[in-house]
Amino acid sequence: MPERIRHAPLDMGKATFPKAKIQLIKDQCKGCGFCIRFCPQKVLEESQEINARGVHPPKIVDESKCLACGFCTAVCPDFAIFIIEKPSKEDVKNG
Amino acid sequence: MGAEEKEKTNPREDDGEIRIGVYVCHCGLNIAGSVDCGEVAKFAATLPHVVWAQDNRYTCSDQGQEQIKKDIKEHKLNRVVVASCSPRLHEPTFRKTCEDAGLNKYLFEMANIREHCSWVHLYDRQSATEKAKDLVKMAVAKAARLQSAKEIEVPIIRKALVIGGGVAGIQAALDLADTGYKVYLVEKEPSIGGMMARIDKTFPTMDCSICILAPKMSDVGHHPNIELLANSEVTDVKGYIGNFHVKILKRPRFVKNDCSACGECSKVCPVIAPNKFDAGLAIRHAIYTPFAQAVPSTYIIDMNLCLNKDGVTVCDKCMKACERQAIDFEMKPETVEIDVGTIIVAIGADVFDPSSLQNYGYGKYLNVITSLEFERLINAGGPSGGHLIRPSDLEIPRRVAFIQCVGSRSDKSGRLYCSNVCCMNTIKDSLLIKEHWPETEIHVFYVDIRAYGKGFEDLYKRARKEGVLFIRGLPAEIVEDRKTHNLWLVGENTLQKELYKVNVDMAILSVGLEPRKDSEPIQRLLTLSRTQDGFFMEAHPKLRPVDAATGGIFFAGCAESPKDIKDSVTQASAAAARAGILMAKGKVTVEAITPIFYPERCKVCGLCAKVCPYNAIVLNKELKRVELVKAACGGCGTCAAECPFDALTQDHFTDEQIISQIDAVTESDADKKIVAFCCNWCAYAGADFAGVSRMQYPPSVRIIRTMCSGRVAPKFVERAFARGAAAVLVAGCHPGDCHYINANYQTQKRVERLWKKMEQQGLDKERLQLLWASAAEGERFASKIREMNRLVEKVSPEEINNAKKVFEKALGGD
Repeated sequence: MPERIRHAPLDMGKATFPKAKIQLIKDQCKGCGFCIRFCPQKVLEESQEINARGVHPPKIVDESKCLACGFCTAVCPDFAIFIIEKPSKEDVKNG
Repeated sequence: MGAEEKEKTNPREDDGEIRIGVYVCHCGLNIAGSVDCGEVAKFAATLPHVVWAQDNRYTCSDQGQEQIKKDIKEHKLNRVVVASCSPRLHEPTFRKTCEDAGLNKYLFEMANIREHCSWVHLYDRQSATEKAKDLVKMAVAKAARLQSAKEIEVPIIRKALVIGGGVAGIQAALDLADTGYKVYLVEKEPSIGGMMARIDKTFPTMDCSICILAPKMSDVGHHPNIELLANSEVTDVKGYIGNFHVKILKRPRFVKNDCSACGECSKVCPVIAPNKFDAGLAIRHAIYTPFAQAVPSTYIIDMNLCLNKDGVTVCDKCMKACERQAIDFEMKPETVEIDVGTIIVAIGADVFDPSSLQNYGYGKYLNVITSLEFERLINAGGPSGGHLIRPSDLEIPRRVAFIQCVGSRSDKSGRLYCSNVCCMNTIKDSLLIKEHWPETEIHVFYVDIRAYGKGFEDLYKRARKEGVLFIRGLPAEIVEDRKTHNLWLVGENTLQKELYKVNVDMAILSVGLEPRKDSEPIQRLLTLSRTQDGFFMEAHPKLRPVDAATGGIFFAGCAESPKDIKDSVTQASAAAARAGILMAKGKVTVEAITPIFYPERCKVCGLCAKVCPYNAIVLNKELKRVELVKAACGGCGTCAAECPFDALTQDHFTDEQIISQIDAVTESDADKKIVAFCCNWCAYAGADFAGVSRMQYPPSVRIIRTMCSGRVAPKFVERAFARGAAAVLVAGCHPGDCHYINANYQTQKRVERLWKKMEQQGLDKERLQLLWASAAEGERFASKIREMNRLVEKVSPEEINNAKKVFEKALGGD
C-alpha cells in the first residue's frame, strides 16, 4: 500500500499521550550527557550554565515532547534526573 | 570453417547415406489449382539425396500418412519432406506419422506451398510452380542436414509459490493447497487481505467485503499445506520451470507468535502515526495490527517509529503490558530459501494518486477525497465508525459529488486504459450513502457508465431510481469556498450542451488502478514482460490468459490487468489449475530447439548470456566458462545469432541448415528474389494469414522460418547478398510483443548495424528491410512484399555485384 497520505487522521484529537514533569537536580549532574544522547524524543540539550560540580547540566527544550519513557532516569549515573508521570485524562475521569 | 569440419565436431552426427522422401500434396485443388504438383514432384526427384518423390491428393489423410509410413520402411527413408500447408498447421501431424514409423520426429521438414504459394499466386500458374520448386528445394536442402534429437524431460517440484496475499493470491493458494500441494504465500504487508480487506461493500450484491474475505484469510492461516510468510519479500529467483530456487527476506515483526492479539501493548505505546490501512484517516501506534481481522493476527512493531529504533531499549511499556512476553526487540531479519515448481504472481495494483491533477485540488482542499478514502469512511470498522463525515468539520455532508475516470482513459492526465471497477464502485457507493442518509443529494459526473457485468445494469438502474443524478461531462475544475470549505464544481454537461456549476459539501474522486510501483523487481526476477500499460503480459491474450511467457509462471488478479473481485478470484482459480496441471504431471518436456554449444570455440565473452531473455545462459566468471540451462531455454536462438565465434547454434535451426536454405534460394535467378526471414509466431503466421485470406502478392519472395527474428544472424543476411539476392526481409513480432520476451530488440540492433555497414560501403540500404507484423497483419506483410518487389525490379546488376563483393567474406571460402 504505497499510496501517499494526504489527509490528517480524523481521530487525531482523541489520541492520548503519556505526559511527564521532568525533574533535574542540576548540582548532582557531572555532565556525562547520557540523558541528552539517549533521549528518543530529543527533549534535552546541554545548557550554558555551570553547576556546583563545574559542568554544564542539561536543560529542557520542550517538555511536551516527553513521552515518559523514563530512560533518562535509568541511564543517569548520578541520580540527577527523574520524571513524574502526569495522570492522563482517562485516569482523571476514572478517579 | 568448412562444412566437413563442422560435421565432425557435431556430437550427434548421423552416419550413413541420407535418403529423403518428398511428398507433394495437391490439397484437393487448393494447391493443385495453381501449382503443377506433378512437375514439382518430378523436379524433387532430381534433387540430391532424394530417393523417393511423389504427389498425392491429400497427404494429411489416413492413406497419405500410411503411404509415408510404408515408404519409410520400404525405401529406407531417413528424412521426410512434405510440401503442403503451413507447418503451423500440420507439422505435428506428420511428425507423429514419422515417429509411428520409427523415424525421429526431428528428421521431418515441411515446405509451405499452400499459404505461402498457391493461395497468394492464384493466377500465375507458372511462377507459382517455379516458386513451389524452390520451396521444395529449400526444404530438401535443410532436410539433408537435419539431425535426430531427443527432447529432455524436466522434473517438476510439487510445491508452489504465490506472490501477493490479496484476494487473488489467497484464492490461488487455497485452491492449490486443497488440491494437496504445498504452497508458500508471500505477502509484503504485515497482513494478507490486500485491497479487498479495505473495501466496505462489494458490488453488485452489496456483501460486506471483509465479512466474506475474513473466513478465507483465516483458512489460509490455518491450512496445513500453506506456509504464510507475511511482512516478507521475494529477493531472488533462480532456476526455471519446475525448479525455481527462491530467496525470501522475512522482515522481523519484533513480536513472537505467542501474541494473543489482546492489544494491551498498543494501548500503552506512546508513539502514533497515521494508519496506512485506513488511508491515513485513523491513527495507529508503533506497535499495532493494521485491522481487527488481520492474518497473521500477531502484532507488529514499526521500527521506523518505535522509540527503540536506535537499537537501545529505551521504552519498555509494551513489554511490561504484554502478559505473554511476546515482544522481542532482538528479532533479526532472516532469509528463507525454498524450492518450488511453479509460481503464481498476484501482486495486485496500486490506486492512482490524483494530487497531480491540480484542477481537482486533491491534497489542497480538505473535502476532496479519493474513493479509497471514502471506503474507509463508510466502513463500520473505519476511522469514523461508518459515519460518512467530511474531513473539514467532521459533519455529515448533505450534497456529495462523485467524479469518474480520475486517472483513467486519458493519456494526458493519467492512464489510457479503463480501470474496469470505478463505475460500479461509484454506483455501489452512491447506494450506500442513500441507504444510510436517504436525503443526501448525489451527483455522479461521468464520461461513460460501463455496467457490463452480471447484475451490474440492475444496480445502475436502482441507483437512478433512488435519485442519484448522473451527469455526463467531467468537471473542468473544483473551486473551494474558503469559509465553508464547500466545493464548486464547474464543467459542461455534454448531453444537454450546457454549462453547470454545482455546489457540494464533499467531492469523491473515483480513482483508477495502475500497475504496482514494485512490479519492476518482480518482472526482472521472473523474466516477465509487461504491456504498454505496465501490467504483466500473458502468453496469449485469448487462449493462455493466465500463463506468463516464461514457463511455470502464472498470473492472478490485478497484476495482469485491472479487474474486480469476481474476475480476480476466477483468474486465481484458473492460475491454480494451470499450475496444478504441471505439478500433477510431475515433469515437462522441452522441445529440442535449444542451443548446441561448441566449448572449444568459446572465448567466454559473455555476449550470449547478455542477450538471453530467459537467463538460460550463465557466465561463470570463476570457472571462466559459459553454462547452459536447457530447461530454462525458450528456444529463440538469439544467442546463436549473437555469438561472434560460432560457438553456439540452435538445434533444428542450425547455421548450416539455414545457410543451406539461403543457398537453395539463391542458386538460380537470385537477382529476382527476396529472401525473407520470418519468425514463427508473428511474421510467418502473418504470411500464413495473408494466404488464408488469399491476399495476392508478387511471387518473388522465399520465406525461411526461424522461431524468432532474433535467430537471424547478420551472416545470414550477408550471405544472401553475397550470393546475389535482390533484397532481404527480416520480419518479426512488434517490439514489446515478442514471443520470447525481448529477443526481437536484438533483431532491430543487428539490422541497424547492417544498414550502417551497407551505407558505409555505398550500398542501397533499402534492399534490406525490417518489418514488424503480427499474426493478424497479413495485409501488412503482403503490401511489404509488393513494395519490395518494386525495389527488386529496379535494382541494377552493378548494385548486386557491389553487394556480392562487399559481403564476399560471408561465403566463408566456398
